[in-house]
Amino acid sequence: MRRILASVLILLSALSLRAQNVSDLILSEALACPDSTGILDEYGRRGGWVELFNKSTGTVSYGGCFLTDDRTDLRKSPIPKSDLRTKLGPRQSVLLYCSGNGADGTFYTAFTLAPGKTVYLVSNDGRTVIDSLRIPLNLPEGKSVVKQARDLRQMDFQTAEEPAVPTPGILNGSGDGASKAEAMAAQDPHGWTLTIVSVSVVFAALALLWFLFWLLFDRPAKKKDASATPGVTKKPGMTDEVAAAIALALDMEEDGDTYAAIAAAVHLYLADRVHDSESYQLTIRREAASAWNDKKLNFRKLPR
Amino acid sequence: MEHIFQSLAQFWEYTGFANCSWQNLAMIGIGLVFITLAIVKEWEPMLLVPIGFGMIIGNIPMFPGLNIGIYEDGSVLNTLYQGVKQGWYPPLIFLGIGAMTDFSALISQPRLILIGAAAQMGIFGAYLLALAFGFAPNEAGAIGIIGGADGPTAIFLSSKLAPDLMGAIAVSAYSYMALVPVIQKPIMLLLTTKKERLIRMPVPRSVSKKEKIIFPIVGFLTTAFIVPSGLPLLGMLFFGNLLKESGVTKRLANTASGPMIDVVTTLIGLTVGASTQADKFLSLKSVGIFALGLLSFVIATMSGVLFVKLMNLLIRNPEKKINPLIGNAGVSAVPDSARVSEVVGREIDPTNHLLMHAMGPNVAGVIGSAVAAGILLSFLG
Repeated sequence: MRRILASVLILLSALSLRAQNVSDLILSEALACPDSTGILDEYGRRGGWVELFNKSTGTVSYGGCFLTDDRTDLRKSPIPKSDLRTKLGPRQSVLLYCSGNGADGTFYTAFTLAPGKTVYLVSNDGRTVIDSLRIPLNLPEGKSVVKQARDLRQMDFQTAEEPAVPTPGILNGSGDGASKAEAMAAQDPHGWTLTIVSVSVVFAALALLWFLFWLLFDRPAKKKDASATPGVTKKPGMTDEVAAAIALALDMEEDGDTYAAIAAAVHLYLADRVHDSESYQLTIRREAASAWNDKKLNFRKLPR
Repeated sequence: MEHIFQSLAQFWEYTGFANCSWQNLAMIGIGLVFITLAIVKEWEPMLLVPIGFGMIIGNIPMFPGLNIGIYEDGSVLNTLYQGVKQGWYPPLIFLGIGAMTDFSALISQPRLILIGAAAQMGIFGAYLLALAFGFAPNEAGAIGIIGGADGPTAIFLSSKLAPDLMGAIAVSAYSYMALVPVIQKPIMLLLTTKKERLIRMPVPRSVSKKEKIIFPIVGFLTTAFIVPSGLPLLGMLFFGNLLKESGVTKRLANTASGPMIDVVTTLIGLTVGASTQADKFLSLKSVGIFALGLLSFVIATMSGVLFVKLMNLLIRNPEKKINPLIGNAGVSAVPDSARVSEVVGREIDPTNHLLMHAMGPNVAGVIGSAVAAGILLSFLG
């Protein structure tokens, strides 16, 4: 039991780690040759830049990752790990200026951009390429290459074929594309895929619920029942104290109705276990006298 | 004198008589049928009376532009209708349902949860059929949810996926929920043998208060993490149940399960009914929706019953077999479908009470239909 719970916790932890993984980062836009309207870096220079976008719903720290334009040198331009500014909020982007000198600062790369080059984003292990973006040879001056969001809710990106007007810091893609329903009509015209996936998810969700409750409650309860002394029909909640209380109540009462009520309740309780915890309590409601039904309560109390 | 006649003639233009069409009369007639069924037959009176009267309200012929119609911005009815259109009412109803639902039957026999999942096949069966009949995927999803046999869920999903069809979908869902005894019984009898109907199920174990408190929390976390898009419904359902079971928020639980759900049910019924204006409701699409809605109920019932039979094939211990008559209760028409299980079961063995067992898949169906709605919303919304 403990091992299963531990495994579940580890799995959940792994999932939560995955949610903040650097693999959720993409190179969403790059500009190699700025024109006179291009943005200036902190040194007042006008040069190329790449845009890093976090498509996840959690904050991702990209400190320790690498940028490179050389597939054989994946650690060419490291991003400082110690800089607190290297955290990217959900669906946020950051610009990294390709000045050719990484010593310029956290947001500067050790290479410059040029048409025909490919920029790689490398994970903090220095080996895994997370994403890449190729700058077309014929990219005009002042135009950028972008990854457009085909579906903003799914964060589904695709490199646009046409050069775009640079939009640094702005999410690429208007979301004006085909609606989900239209996309579904195109991808799954007969609905079988959605049906199979949906039925599987419904079953998975409820089966998980079943498993959890079987594991947490049903199985221990049945084990407890099985371990009870054979031949003794003692039920949960039917303690000696309860039996003693009933006996005491019977001793104190001389009314036959009370006996009958208690006997009926005990019989029902023992014969039929279709009750929840409230049913373990034997309750006899008495007709309580009130000012509405008992005249003597309305009498004025005179001083003796 | 002439001026008086002119004024009277002008007034006549504003009356319902002058603006009346056969479509209005047809819808008023349907509304009256609903009210009659609710009062005479006592079929879902809490819903059919408000919906029926709402239909009459919505179809009183009127001169356009008076800013009183349900589709005219700023009118009183339009303001009340926003709860349906924007999807506020269904989660509030789920809060009340949660506060009045006892999940003990489900907790004591967790395996019955799966029947609630199987019965959701009605939703997806209707989705496939709706696509085959030429409905767009979002419309098909909204129509399919009728098979969940859950009015608030149907309204919630159709308001998101296909607002134009919401009136027909809501009326269809509530109508078939009222007709559950009529629709389900023949299917149950058709798919089960006498021997199966006589199966006596083991008495469920008792459920502790601790289990009842933990259920809404675990249930919510499990389902919401898998289908976050079902959050408004699932969150309210389990929150309401926690209010009830915690034992320390009785006033809140009482309000949620009493006055609040009554108010919202009245408003949702009335405005849904009023939204069925003849010009928007009387169309071939509505006929298709009603036909598909019926099929979705049939498929859901069949799936539930057949799934129990399948489970029985896998259960070796004869004492643990499940009576397939509770399979129909996997649709979430609480507690009508469970009551059908009880009635049909007692017809063949008057001492075999299935109600308690049927409540398990019944409440599982509520969760299942909310999960299914969440999935459809995430795919098609």
